[in-house]
Amino acid sequence: MAKKIIIGTASSTKAGRVTGALDVGSAPDGAKIAVPVVIVQGEKDGPVLWLHGSVHGNEYCGTYIIHEFLRGLKPAELSGAVVAIPVVNVPAFQSNRRTSPFEIFNGGDMNRQFPGDAAGVATQQMAGVIFEQLKRYAGVFVDFHTAITPDVRWALFPKADGEVGATSEKIARTFGYRDTLPAPMSILAGSALMTAAKAGIPGLIVECGGKGPAFTTDAVRDASERLRNVARALGILPGSAKAAQPMTFFSNFLWVTASRGGLFEKTVSCGDRIVEGAVIGRYSDVWGNPVGDARAPQGGVVLAINGGPVIGQGETLIHIGLDPRPA
Amino acid sequence: MKTITIGTAKAEGAGRFQGTLQVGSLPDGAPIELPVIIVRGTADGPVLWMHGCVHGNEYCGTYSIHELARSLDPAKVRGAVIALPILNLTGFRSRQRSSPFELFNNTDMNRCFPGSPTAGMTEQMAHVVFTELKRHATHFIDFHTAYTSDTRWALYADLGGEVSKVGRVMAEAFGYENTLPTPEGTLYNSALMAAGREGIPGYLVEAGGLGPAFTRETVLDVAERLRNVGRAIGLLPGEVTKYPPLTTFSNFHWATAPRGGLFVNHVKCGDTVAKGQKIGTYYDVFGDEDGEATAPASGIVLAINPGPIMPQGDVMIHIGLDPKRG
Repeated sequence: MAKKIIIGTASSTKAGRVTGALDVGSAPDGAKIAVPVVIVQGEKDGPVLWLHGSVHGNEYCGTYIIHEFLRGLKPAELSGAVVAIPVVNVPAFQSNRRTSPFEIFNGGDMNRQFPGDAAGVATQQMAGVIFEQLKRYAGVFVDFHTAITPDVRWALFPKADGEVGATSEKIARTFGYRDTLPAPMSILAGSALMTAAKAGIPGLIVECGGKGPAFTTDAVRDASERLRNVARALGILPGSAKAAQPMTFFSNFLWVTASRGGLFEKTVSCGDRIVEGAVIGRYSDVWGNPVGDARAPQGGVVLAINGGPVIGQGETLIHIGLDPRPA
Repeated sequence: MKTITIGTAKAEGAGRFQGTLQVGSLPDGAPIELPVIIVRGTADGPVLWMHGCVHGNEYCGTYSIHELARSLDPAKVRGAVIALPILNLTGFRSRQRSSPFELFNNTDMNRCFPGSPTAGMTEQMAHVVFTELKRHATHFIDFHTAYTSDTRWALYADLGGEVSKVGRVMAEAFGYENTLPTPEGTLYNSALMAAGREGIPGYLVEAGGLGPAFTRETVLDVAERLRNVGRAIGLLPGEVTKYPPLTTFSNFHWATAPRGGLFVNHVKCGDTVAKGQKIGTYYDVFGDEDGEATAPASGIVLAINPGPIMPQGDVMIHIGLDPKRG
């Protein structure tokens, strides 16, 4: 039995692929801000996998992963449906920025604004329209982000009680990035992931590739194949899921900002093990003189590192996975 | 030995000196002070002027200049190196090509030379810099990056006489194969061509890619090639490395995108393309193929826009025309 999935102008009532747009707001000239929606529905019943990309507008790798995954789907093979919004923060995407250029007054980080607010600021209003649809239809949710450099490969899932936590962990294991954080429910408030989990929808955030053009076709293909493995594990795609590889779980992450600005060269890469006090990068002044090292404030695994070549004070310097343990 | 003074940087004898040159001021009155490095040798000789980050987010040039400057031993230098590693300081800080304070006038600093003390902000900054360049430089090298990390090409001012002759010597000593002897009329208000018109031979390196796209290996390679230029013009001792012969062009073709969309490029820097050949694919927001981009001219790819998004009118490809090998 086919489901009725109607999101904006994308209307799916039977097996097949439909596209359309969902109005989420309007620009200062009155033009609509519409996010693209793709629905691929199978012939058999099954879960609805909901996908988000470019919630941060300049994290294009996620959009490309979703596109690659969608192009490989055949409705005849599917049980259930895939609903994708490959570009969530459209004005930011267009402007090559993390946040919307129309968000002048507030913070504007869309992944801190869920479930949204119809009476809030621009980004909260957009998030509200999208989350209402997500809550209505989604069985499982996967959100794609990037950090800074092309070698970023990690994931996080909500460490929730009961089914939500168990299914989320299963998704994380079938996606299979080695470095994965079972995220305590107290962190990332306002993210779509945590908000969905609190509404009973299990999910995963994938961090793959770097900012803007800093990602490769290989990373896109690999992430798309891992997403297919998740779809197999959920029974949306036929075939059995590939066995999980050994993984490293963390207790939490530490997000470290730069205590000073300057020219900066990193000396560690994503996935590296570091100890407290280890040199992670070197500062130089405008004349090219070395003026100090940046050091890890705690030990762990490098999840993300600022690649320089310049760093502003207060910018994200390093993101460390704490207390790594085999899982 | 005459003292070389640029802003607060003063070189009275051999050694390494640093200081700043004020080129303007900010809306709150704070000065805009550019870093200046002078490495002076024990005897008079050529004065090689280098500047980087004329386009503020082309950091590879700054790092290349720093790498070279750190490697120079004043005891072995004849003449001097004067380096301004960050020319468009406000663009550099903002990770923008142009200054965030330049809202009205000519925003591209490399179209502002020789500059003017009475025009827009960027032209005023260019004027202060060019006045010093003209006073001191016997040779000039400018650093740019294009988009992708595989960018490797160069230009020299081909304005006739000594400027062309010495420019060619610098080009051969630096040794990037793909090189444009830049004809009069092209890049008219660049520092390269403005210096050339003043009789100062110049070379412009395009290496490494925008923002963080460049690698450490590129920086080290560029610094070594710069030392070879130093050897070729008598600034540094030692034998000049002979690189393979240049491939030169009649000019370049700079093609902008006729439309916007998600974009995946299919050619690399250095590839040979024929007019009409597919160079990239457009996709729509749903992930469906939505047309292709083709080469507007035949030649060698000097720079290519890697996407992943392409605004209409963005530079899509830069092609070296009529390649002549050897």
